[in-house]
Amino acid sequence: MPPAEAMPTGEPPLPVGDKVEIVGRSPWYLAYLRLRRNKVALAFGALFIAIVLFCLAAPLWANYVADTGPNENHLTDQISIGGKETFVVAPNGIPIGPGLHTKFLLGADDNGRDVMVRLMYGGRTSIYIGVMAALITTLLAVAVGLAAGYYRGWTDSVLSRTMDLIWAFPVLLLGIALGTALSVGGLKIGPLSVPADSLWIPILIIGFVYVPYMARPIRGEVLALREKEFVEAAVAQGKGPIRIMFTELLPNLVSTIIVFFTLNIANNMLLEAALSFLGAGVRAPNSSWGTMIAEGEDRLVTAPHLTIVPGLMIVLTVLALNVFGDGLRDALNPRAKIRMEH
Amino acid sequence: MRKLRKAAVLGLATALAAIGLAACGSDDGGGGGGKEGGEINGTLTSFPDYLDPQLSYTLEGWEGLWNVYVPLLSYQHGNGEETTKVVPGLAEALPDISADGKTYTLTLRKGLKYSDGTPIKASDFPYAIQRLFKLDSGGAPFFENIVGAEDYANGKADTISGIQADDATGKITIQLIDPSGTFNNELGLMFAAPVPQSTPLDKDQTNTPPPSSGPFMISNVDAPNSYTLERNPQFKTVQAAGASDVPDAHVDKITVTQNKNQSAQATAIQQNTNDFMVDPPPADLLPDIQNTYSDRFRFQDSINTYYFWMNTTTPPFNDLKVRQAINYAIDPAALNRIFGGRLHPSQTILPPGMPGYQEYKLYPGPDLEKAKALLAEAHPSDMDITVWTDDEPDRKRIGAYYQDVLNQLGFQTELKIIGGDIYFTTIGNLKTPDLDTGFSDWFQDYPHPNDFFEPLLSGDAIHPTNNNNFSQVNIPELTNEVNELGSKQLSDSGVEDQYAALDKKFMEQAVWAPYGNEEFTTFTSDRVNFDDVDFSLLFNLDYSSFQLKD
Repeated sequence: MPPAEAMPTGEPPLPVGDKVEIVGRSPWYLAYLRLRRNKVALAFGALFIAIVLFCLAAPLWANYVADTGPNENHLTDQISIGGKETFVVAPNGIPIGPGLHTKFLLGADDNGRDVMVRLMYGGRTSIYIGVMAALITTLLAVAVGLAAGYYRGWTDSVLSRTMDLIWAFPVLLLGIALGTALSVGGLKIGPLSVPADSLWIPILIIGFVYVPYMARPIRGEVLALREKEFVEAAVAQGKGPIRIMFTELLPNLVSTIIVFFTLNIANNMLLEAALSFLGAGVRAPNSSWGTMIAEGEDRLVTAPHLTIVPGLMIVLTVLALNVFGDGLRDALNPRAKIRMEH
Repeated sequence: MRKLRKAAVLGLATALAAIGLAACGSDDGGGGGGKEGGEINGTLTSFPDYLDPQLSYTLEGWEGLWNVYVPLLSYQHGNGEETTKVVPGLAEALPDISADGKTYTLTLRKGLKYSDGTPIKASDFPYAIQRLFKLDSGGAPFFENIVGAEDYANGKADTISGIQADDATGKITIQLIDPSGTFNNELGLMFAAPVPQSTPLDKDQTNTPPPSSGPFMISNVDAPNSYTLERNPQFKTVQAAGASDVPDAHVDKITVTQNKNQSAQATAIQQNTNDFMVDPPPADLLPDIQNTYSDRFRFQDSINTYYFWMNTTTPPFNDLKVRQAINYAIDPAALNRIFGGRLHPSQTILPPGMPGYQEYKLYPGPDLEKAKALLAEAHPSDMDITVWTDDEPDRKRIGAYYQDVLNQLGFQTELKIIGGDIYFTTIGNLKTPDLDTGFSDWFQDYPHPNDFFEPLLSGDAIHPTNNNNFSQVNIPELTNEVNELGSKQLSDSGVEDQYAALDKKFMEQAVWAPYGNEEFTTFTSDRVNFDDVDFSLLFNLDYSSFQLKD
């Protein structure tokens, strides 16, 4: 038994010889304590929550401060700046820049749309796509990983080769190809019909292309867990494969899934930005951070903030998710960390 | 034609000169301020719709093809008004026209050869016209007045009986059903350029363009990325035959590349890594370019109309009040911001400078309240509409503006953004679903108002593919009026006033929502002899005038 001071609970060492009552701690509580000690991860987790709250506040800002929606054009409108009436978009086509005015705080784009409002609504779109796509990836990857790892044999071969086939395509190229193909007519599979301009098009595409990246590690863990005694016991008790997968194996995968889910959101947001920038993601005039970068690309010289601000938001969000996700992994899987350190 | 700029007619004198007078003198396309040879590079925002002379109907296409395929008649090279003058091309002279105005006789010059060495024959001309009908070209309506054209188009004849061509003598005789005040102009369009009869009759040749007859030939096509022009080694046969109005090139090679980023295009010219751009610089760079590069930048007159089309055959735009509401709601001053101040606001079909143009405004505005009131009266059954535009930066902004206006009026809209190189062919295909409303423009093909009314608003011009009547306007009495006026000469008394009245009649039906006319630009690198770069009112930049500085 390791010395008391080596125990990871943070409690003071016990005096030698005293009788001590052992208090059980659940793995989740232990993980919480480990995470709580990781101040950097917590800080970035708080940053991500702050970004989400910022984006969720979009309707409040739009209705009560900016007094405009994300897609409303104000090409000939004027606002008062320092008592002087100024065109939102000047007659020569140059829009107002950022400044200390509640309306158009971050300036306007070429259509006279409020950049701050579009940034907040765009964030809602980007985060929504990131989270929903991660959910789809998780559902599909868990199903594929569980089936491949438990059944093995032909099932594993077919599923693994299918994952390899998807994995063989660079994610961005596959996403662009699918996005372009579905951008005109939408998606129609039997009774299922998704219009071309629906957010579900990029959600489904991004959710699909990342399945192998989660399914393979899950499959690997299932292969190992399958050989454990508790699985043998469950088989001996007469439990069927589906019940074993969901009642015995899945609970042991939860920590892995949670970590992958968090990191996957970051990847999804990056892919969404890339697809939208290339015109294969979110459709104009809806805003996402990717479409805003694309719209601002033409004005990089004269209005760089149109591209830099949404780009910065993507960087901060992805960084926050990655750092928090790493911290979460360290908290939930300390043995893995120790093994890695050795 | 679309987007590329069409030159507009500048005044009655120009129109008369273009239609009736023979060109005199020649324009060699450049002065003595540069050297012969060299290579230049250019960019455009959207690749041409086609590089097939019988199909291309955009500015991007015509600008590139004008010096590649020479019709029997051509247009004078130069600048301004003179470029609307019809001159002999591959024909020895302007046609002899019979007293009744229905028979045109021309003679092909002797000894002409295409760029691959194939002799140019008189029978290549009717073959080219046949291609127009087999390809369902947007230019076909211009030649439907030829005797036998309709039977050929409908498959009832193997040839067009109204065109006789004698390869031995080079004589070409064309018989029209009705006299035409514009046929000389139409003979000068790329659609009528002869091509070898080895060219497939009914297949688009964009990827393998036919051999050329002009100073350049298309040596490479990598659609939709780039195409390359090189000197035509057989052009000397055209020069030797006396075609002095078709100037030779100065540079050996021109490579034109697509670049969707107009800022990058302009920056490349500022840095002299690119030599010219087909489109104007973006609005935010214009003031700086105008001030800093005034020695290689200038504004150019152009005759065009920008408008939103509305499908008059299906709800909600089959209701006049809905279309009128749109006209009340559109704000040309707002759209002018997108053009960087280069848009002259107007609400007419004909642009300023075109004979028959008269300024008026039937729908003063913008007046959203009036528009909403009209919509309330109309109470359209279908408020879900699709708004179309292409993916050029300013077109996307125009589409976003138009969509916002429609949303404010209560419509539920979907914005469809299509690649610029396939936009007009997509919305010109009547099988494309959800063709409700969208962006369009029209640049003058030749200096006659019939060029606006016949292909864009005549009920006879609605085609299943390559259609240009996007609103699918089919008002029989106005179609008859278009046909009747098209048979008259502009110089006839009262014709221009009748065209002005026709303009207003169409706008009383609110067939379009026009909003303005764009001013164009020329911007070149420091390598190019800028002063001698010619700008045609019909074909935009004249590639034969490009010359590198000494």
